[in-house]
Amino acid sequence: MSALSTPVLEVADLAVSFDNSSGGPRIQAVNGVHMTLFPQQTLAVVGESGCGKSVTAMSTMQLIPRPPGRFDRGSILFEGRDICSLREEDMLSIRGGKIAMIFQEPMTSLNPVYTIGDQLMEAIFLHQQAGPDQARAIAIQAMKDVGIKKPEERLGMYPHQFSGGMRQRVMIAMALACRPKVLLADEPTTALDVTIQAQILELLRELQSTRDMGIMLITHNLGVVAENADVVCVMYAGRVVEYANVFELFDEPLHPYTRGLFRSIPMLRDVKHRLVTVRDVTNDAAEFRRLDGHVPWWPDMPEGTKPALAPGRDEHVLVEVRPNRWVGCWRTPELESRTHRRPSLDYRRTDR
Amino acid sequence: MVSYLARRLAFMVPTVLGITLMVFCLLAYAPGGIGAGLAVSGGQMSDTSKVAQMQAYLEDRYGLNDWVIVQYGRWLSRISPVKFGERDLRTPSGERVAPPRAIDDPPLAAAFPTPAVPVDAFEPAAGDDLVAQFKKLQRDAEGTRREYVGSVRLFRDALADWARAQGPAMAGRLDAKGSADPGRFEGVAIDPASPGYAKLRAAADAMHAKWVAARRAQALALAAFRAGPYPKSGIPLVPGLVSLDTPDLGVAFSKNRPVWDLIAAALPVTLLINLIAFPISYLIAVPTGVLASVRRGGWFDVLSGFLYLSLYSVPTVLAGVFAIGFLANRQYLGWFPVSGLHESGAEAFTFLPHADAAGTWHRGYLVDTLWHVALPVLCLVYGSFAVLSKQTRASMLDNFNADYVRTAKAKGVPRKDVVLRHVFRNSLLPLITMFVGIFPAMLAGSVVIERIFTVPGMGSLILEAIDLRDREIILANTFMIACVNLLALLLADILYAAADPRVSYE
Repeated sequence: MSALSTPVLEVADLAVSFDNSSGGPRIQAVNGVHMTLFPQQTLAVVGESGCGKSVTAMSTMQLIPRPPGRFDRGSILFEGRDICSLREEDMLSIRGGKIAMIFQEPMTSLNPVYTIGDQLMEAIFLHQQAGPDQARAIAIQAMKDVGIKKPEERLGMYPHQFSGGMRQRVMIAMALACRPKVLLADEPTTALDVTIQAQILELLRELQSTRDMGIMLITHNLGVVAENADVVCVMYAGRVVEYANVFELFDEPLHPYTRGLFRSIPMLRDVKHRLVTVRDVTNDAAEFRRLDGHVPWWPDMPEGTKPALAPGRDEHVLVEVRPNRWVGCWRTPELESRTHRRPSLDYRRTDR
Repeated sequence: MVSYLARRLAFMVPTVLGITLMVFCLLAYAPGGIGAGLAVSGGQMSDTSKVAQMQAYLEDRYGLNDWVIVQYGRWLSRISPVKFGERDLRTPSGERVAPPRAIDDPPLAAAFPTPAVPVDAFEPAAGDDLVAQFKKLQRDAEGTRREYVGSVRLFRDALADWARAQGPAMAGRLDAKGSADPGRFEGVAIDPASPGYAKLRAAADAMHAKWVAARRAQALALAAFRAGPYPKSGIPLVPGLVSLDTPDLGVAFSKNRPVWDLIAAALPVTLLINLIAFPISYLIAVPTGVLASVRRGGWFDVLSGFLYLSLYSVPTVLAGVFAIGFLANRQYLGWFPVSGLHESGAEAFTFLPHADAAGTWHRGYLVDTLWHVALPVLCLVYGSFAVLSKQTRASMLDNFNADYVRTAKAKGVPRKDVVLRHVFRNSLLPLITMFVGIFPAMLAGSVVIERIFTVPGMGSLILEAIDLRDREIILANTFMIACVNLLALLLADILYAAADPRVSYE
């Protein structure tokens, strides 16, 4: 097994819940999520707002405030160690050093009262043995890597003197300055305009290929997924509903929700009075009968489609319905006897 | 930055003018006027006409007869560093000596022709005697003027009596209070055969005699003034017309002392108490606010919030009385003095504490002062924690959820550094505005605390001035507080620019 075929991050059966501040039952943000990230791979996590994408990423960073958050079960293995069981001191060296994260809001994600250089070098001092001059050199190189011109000058500037796209570059430079193994990119381009989006994603791809870095790309933009992802993990309501490599998924989505997502994209050619919604698809009972022997899991099943469940177990199970295709299904008694391979796709697209 | 500062300072001028004009008008139109305090203090004067003459003299001396806007203009020209007209003299002790004031002609010159004033020759004395001579002439001028102003008042009374004797047509010219304003009798033919004329004539003659004496004394005093017993004050810009001089806060009516002297005595006391109190309240409130925000909802947060709000709810008056009753009263603890700022005879103390040859312990001036201000400081401080600490806590909590704090955590910054370097640094910005508020508060002093502990600070001074309607002290105070307030706001803006790189005045 070469280094590239060893997963760098494995999320297994992760469940995270939060206190309900209005006194109701606990809110299950993530409920049995599996995913596997390999070096140099881009794993896109897709789903609508509130489906648990960000909670998964924040759990990986151990940035979920506890309380109100709580890890109910599962593990997050990074280089063979379970992050969930690490002490805070050990986590500090991983966070920002081995696993880095960039966020959605470049406009507010930088501290307004410190210079770009201060903030970049703060990360470098934390994770590398470097003197001030060395740290400065690393920071300048990091800024050059993300395509910021005149980095020496820019180091002394404040975030408000940068545009949104430039700030996101700084965020990426900051995240990558310590050469992390995993980059969690939580909707890194959502706040940016289309041109800058393309530049930033291009940049991430370039940097990924020069380092053995795995990227978990969290997005709800299917165009971004199609362009950038190797493997796609579709989530809904804290569950993984479909897991496949990007081409197979786009060619033939197996879960009704995924189909709903694709069909709801408006096409420029088509003139429609009304767009197809995800709900139109998931309300159609026929959609749930298209998988032989399995019923796709969905919290709000059309009448008469919900199968009998295995008693006493979690209702949801991620089934490898075809080789290297996983779909979230109801745990029927027939599935109960089978062992299920966890989703793991050591796949990288070759069309770049 | 420089042009911004210049612009801000320039804008302050109309603001200060507006503030002082408003206060001036309020004071000028307030019921009672300058005589209110006098009527109380002069209660034992049996002769009401004496009181009236005294009041007339004071009104003349402080120029209270003129229109308010004229009085305000006069006040402004005193406050202004640019002076017009003849320059003042300055005594070696720094006191300012204004030229003797001109004397108006007596009223009703048509009916009672003004007598001629003989011109006296002035012989300046040689050397140091000139000062003594000037002082004597100055005293004479003031004395004769005082008598003249009193006699004008008597003449007006006589005029009122005469008018009433003439019947309703003439009595209608009296004002609402039944006193005669000579201006209203201008052009009235006063018939020597009319009833009561003799008395009026006698009053006019007495007035004229006093006027002649006052004019002669004033002319001599002016000549002595111009002979230059003291050096001139200020720097001339246009000789004889425009000069530069230090602002003059005037002389307090009620104490007959320069206002600046009174403030110079009271301000250090207030500053001392506040300079001890403010660091204490900040050093306690800000860290506890930070700690409360870090452990939000924890026992420390709840307890400190409860404690501070309880303290905040205790009125200062009550706290002061309790502090005196329990901590200062010898029947209880008796740890602290009840009132005042020093032990009697503290002037003779050494500054630092020491033990003398006999081994007796001496407190020294410094410890004595601190010991005396302990209770006032306590009363000033205890209520301030709540607002400051809650403000710090709220400001911290705002920033805890900021995106850049999440970024810092994601970089692997330890929690302590996240709190201090990232959250606290940004939480300082709203505290700046609160911080500069202490400057005007320092100047104003605390009326309640200074009253309770008999501390002769700015609060006591202004309260007394308000009691006695002492316009000069109130105006001087308002003026200084307005200036300091505006400068503090400017300071806040400058501090903002220093603390927040996004703010710039280039």
